[in-house]
Amino acid sequence: MVGYSRIQLWQYITAILLIFLLAWHFASRLPFLRGVDSFAETLAPDKVYEDLGGASGVLALALAYTALFHGLNGLRGILLEWLGPSRKPLVNTVVVILFLVFAGLATYGVVGITKP
Amino acid sequence: MAGRGERRFLKNMPGWRASFNPWILKLPNNPERLAFVLHRVTGILLILILFLHITVTTTPATRGWEFWVEEIRKAQGITPVTVYFFIFAGIAIFHGLNGIRLLLVEFLGCCVGKPEKPKPPYISATLKAPQRTLLYIVFALWIILWMIAGYIIFT
Repeated sequence: MVGYSRIQLWQYITAILLIFLLAWHFASRLPFLRGVDSFAETLAPDKVYEDLGGASGVLALALAYTALFHGLNGLRGILLEWLGPSRKPLVNTVVVILFLVFAGLATYGVVGITKP
Repeated sequence: MAGRGERRFLKNMPGWRASFNPWILKLPNNPERLAFVLHRVTGILLILILFLHITVTTTPATRGWEFWVEEIRKAQGITPVTVYFFIFAGIAIFHGLNGIRLLLVEFLGCCVGKPEKPKPPYISATLKAPQRTLLYIVFALWIILWMIAGYIIFT
């Protein structure tokens, strides 16, 4: 008996997580919530350090990993529809490599950040 | 039987161009199809933007704050950077709102109507169900939230 895939269930779970994580991420760019006058000022080094350093960094990383999983899994589904099941190993390999590269980059961006 | 290297299910696989083919799209009175295509297109664009976003957000760690400060100077007024943020916001807002609709309709089975006996003119129960109103709400909210995002980004 062939086991059924839970990959689409994970797509829905990550979508639900993204609603909350993206709401937090977008809220952090709202000038009136950050006590500044413009959108550009929410990107000032001290504000970005508040977003990426300390406990907020964990949320930022959770957002990056969840968005990467959701996005790459969606892309995988589209590519498999277009290319067919014979290309599944190739598509899976590319998707996993892209996830590892950008998840690693995001991790370095949070862990390696210094106080401005 | 398909040989080595040949694609299977060719007859049922019109390929990626079919997603944009107006003869297949049949958009009039088919907003679900429009939402489906837009969700795919915005999804593909979002993953590309996500790669760029992660790369750019890493620059304080990789290239230092001086480079970051130089870059955010370009995020004031109407500049290529703010136009990029505006387009990004539009894409993300549509994908997010339509994603919430899909969660309600596909994952929770909400607003899809009840099965009924087929009778002329054979319109599917789901097309008469509240999910279509939900879709119009998504389109309306998208435009409103995108305009608000534009106001925040450009002022």
